Amino acid sequence: MVSGSLECPVRGEMLSSVVPAKATGGNKDLELTSMDLAMKLHYIKGAYFFQPEAAQGLSIHDLKEPMFQCLELYYAASGRIRRSESGRPFIKCNDGGVRIVEAQCDKSVDEWLAMARNNDHMLAHDQVLGPDLGFSPLVFVQFTRFKCGGVSVGLSWAHVLGDAFSASNFLNLWGQIMAGKQVPLQPNSPAHNISQFPISISRKPFSLKKVDPVGDYWLTPNNSKMVTHSFRITAKQLHYYITTYCIHDPNKISDFEIILAMIWQSLSKAREDSGPNIVTICSNNSADKMAMLPSNGMTLSTVEADFCVSKVEIGELAKLIAEKRMDENGLIGELIKGDEVRSDFIVYGANLTFVNLEGMNVYGIEMKGLKPVCVNYMMNGVGEEGTVVVLPSNEKDGGNNGKMVTITLPQHLLLKLNNRLQIDWNIVI
Amino acid sequence: MPHFSNSVKLKYVKLGYQYLVNHILTLTLIPVMAGVLIEVLRLGPAEIVNLWNSLHFDLVQILCSCFFIIFVATVYFMSKPRSIYLVDYACYKPPVTCRVPFATFMEHSRLNLSNNPKSVEFQMRILERSGLGEETCLPPAIHYIPPTPTMEAARGEAEIVIFSAMDSLFKKTGLKPKDIDILIVNCSLFSPTPSLSAMVINKYKLRSNIKSFNLSGMGCSAGLISIDLARDLLQVHPNSNAVVVSTEIITPNYYQGKERAMLLPNCLFRMGGAAILLSNRRSERRRAKYRLVHVVRTHKGADDKAYRCVFEEEDKEGNVGISLSKDLMAIAGEALKSNITTIGPLVLPASEQLLFLLTLIGRKIFNPKWKPYIPDFKQAFEHFCIHAGGRAVIDELQKNLQLSAEHVEASRMTLHRFGNTSSSSLWYEMSYIEAKGRMKKGDRVWQIAFGSGFKCNSAVWKCNRTIKTPKDGPWADCIHRYPVHIPEVVKL
Repeated sequence: MVSGSLECPVRGEMLSSVVPAKATGGNKDLELTSMDLAMKLHYIKGAYFFQPEAAQGLSIHDLKEPMFQCLELYYAASGRIRRSESGRPFIKCNDGGVRIVEAQCDKSVDEWLAMARNNDHMLAHDQVLGPDLGFSPLVFVQFTRFKCGGVSVGLSWAHVLGDAFSASNFLNLWGQIMAGKQVPLQPNSPAHNISQFPISISRKPFSLKKVDPVGDYWLTPNNSKMVTHSFRITAKQLHYYITTYCIHDPNKISDFEIILAMIWQSLSKAREDSGPNIVTICSNNSADKMAMLPSNGMTLSTVEADFCVSKVEIGELAKLIAEKRMDENGLIGELIKGDEVRSDFIVYGANLTFVNLEGMNVYGIEMKGLKPVCVNYMMNGVGEEGTVVVLPSNEKDGGNNGKMVTITLPQHLLLKLNNRLQIDWNIVI
Repeated sequence: MPHFSNSVKLKYVKLGYQYLVNHILTLTLIPVMAGVLIEVLRLGPAEIVNLWNSLHFDLVQILCSCFFIIFVATVYFMSKPRSIYLVDYACYKPPVTCRVPFATFMEHSRLNLSNNPKSVEFQMRILERSGLGEETCLPPAIHYIPPTPTMEAARGEAEIVIFSAMDSLFKKTGLKPKDIDILIVNCSLFSPTPSLSAMVINKYKLRSNIKSFNLSGMGCSAGLISIDLARDLLQVHPNSNAVVVSTEIITPNYYQGKERAMLLPNCLFRMGGAAILLSNRRSERRRAKYRLVHVVRTHKGADDKAYRCVFEEEDKEGNVGISLSKDLMAIAGEALKSNITTIGPLVLPASEQLLFLLTLIGRKIFNPKWKPYIPDFKQAFEHFCIHAGGRAVIDELQKNLQLSAEHVEASRMTLHRFGNTSSSSLWYEMSYIEAKGRMKKGDRVWQIAFGSGFKCNSAVWKCNRTIKTPKDGPWADCIHRYPVHIPEVVKL
């Protein structure tokens, strides 16, 4: 994923490894669930920006040292992928460790945040599992020093290990240890991704798409160049949209649903009504904030529109999203077992996918008692239909109800979408 | 069960023989004294007084005899070598941030040597059979891909290791820096200017008339060479304290090429260091842990093959590394034989020496085909500290000296927990024995080290007081897990 600018502001990368402080012992092997295997070609990137006051006087050793204790508790992140005799991948907890990247940036934090936000992916290492699958780290943490003395913490996290909530938990744990706080050890709750809904019809899930075998190089095959763009929507704006467009039942529509509807309609218009008619929604309602084992605990559901999306009232679309979601976890579980564990699938980008990270505690991390000035998450290795990530944003007045929206689409489509969003909804890109 | 009863009978015969020969003086003296006593009793006191008078001793003769006895006693005590006491020692414990598990080492190896899969395969096979555990440590510069061995990083490692060990030593012994009279630092492969001993003097503000020495290039056996040097200096300087610092600095010596003979040290050498306080002051007699009995040094450098068997050189691409030749084990065996031939007569009990002598005479005169008698060193020592150079070295010595698994346990477990820390490994092994509570007053310890040259050096210590299990030290947090079973091949 390359941005439009020619020169790369992030440079001087030095790689090293950090391992658990104590031997994990017994080589505890972690089994991968069907949901884990469905997500294996995707990667999560997170960027946390800290102002100079938060990073002053902290050397790279001060940043690395808490990671050793963190990995002792969260030992799954240090593991590596192995295949069992049947060919089914699993995680071997062999203390391989996480990779740490040290980099520099010629801009200050404020300059970076003021720019058009399509370069955040540079602050986290471009991660792919493979071709040496058994020796590829599952997690990269990049510490980028800015010209002003600020620091960004860039997380690259293989989705097969866990979802974005697990990734955020991991970094929050690191932050707590760095701050010297006591970390209570919680017993790990089992993953809750088996669907509660009975499977009435047995069919293939719409949210999943099978791709050609990728062997040991786990990257989504794509024909187009995918680019990312992020923007903020304030709480005031969201309130305005909901009250204006969802006159009938404003209390039933959530922020996420209205954003989903707006982007769906704008993209339909940008694509001149050639789609998409079906979107995938990825949300996590039961995220355990204290779990020491990562998991892919999301619920995947789809919404299908049998009318023309670009022409309908936005309120109607939002109502459809709220009411006609179809949970597909059970179908996915049915599909990925037996021989299909060796097949390769994509979820993000199989259809236009909306990832709901509203409940994520991204501002729970502190450096020297100060919260990050901005946090962004995006998905890497997504299919061509694109992905939209919605996470909480902090606002200048301290409110936390705004949203940060990050869109990943093929380059030509993203430009058109940005224009439409400005025209349709007055969103400042 | 004829074999069983035969072996039991043989055992008792052997025991009887040993008791007889080792206590021959006592056994002959007792009947003689008994005879004299009976004679005295028989004669009666009056007869004895008569006997005394008939000897016609006068005052002059008595005085001269007394002076003579006093003179001989004084000459004896003046010319006796000073006793050298080991007051205490401290070993460096690396922080968890330096830990290198197998998986990480192999992964870095694959990335650093990405163009040489055969070399990577070789390293993996060595690591699987090395006997190292998952908690050995490398310095921070080596954790980078590729490693960043600057001189600053090397000095940094030296400072952390040496100063940590010295601080620990000061705390344990209550030694004041101004009381150090002799300072010897040995580090084979890192020798900056000013020397590491100057670095120590600068840090702790030692006295300006200190006698300092810096030994470099002398390999893994340099620790015992330093002890030998300290001993000689303490003979010349009365009432003195000597501090010996043994370490090996890994940062500048990590081989970055692909020659297999030179990749071996990368797999085995790890961070470590020790600081030892030796003294000849009589006031230390009570609290000292050990007394130095013998140091025996054997150098095989006159032989070309021995000289070249551990050789630092550049490979074809200009990377500097230490090349280990294939005859290393054979040469080590030869050096060991030389060393024990010298140390044997000093430490073995009379029974073993007699047997060895008889077999030697027998082979020379009667039949050269007789098997040479290997003296049983287990009779001379309670504890063995074999330099943890590698699994092969320990296996070889265990076989040659016919030692049991418990005797070599300290060496094997040190190799597992700390890796090959070069000259300081002997001290980690001593620390293990103490941590297990096995060191009792009067126990004799044999430290054997091999090193480039090719050298084989031995030191013999006698335990001065029973040592309570220490609460600190490098083994404090993990001794309860040891001994561990180390498999022949670890599957990575």
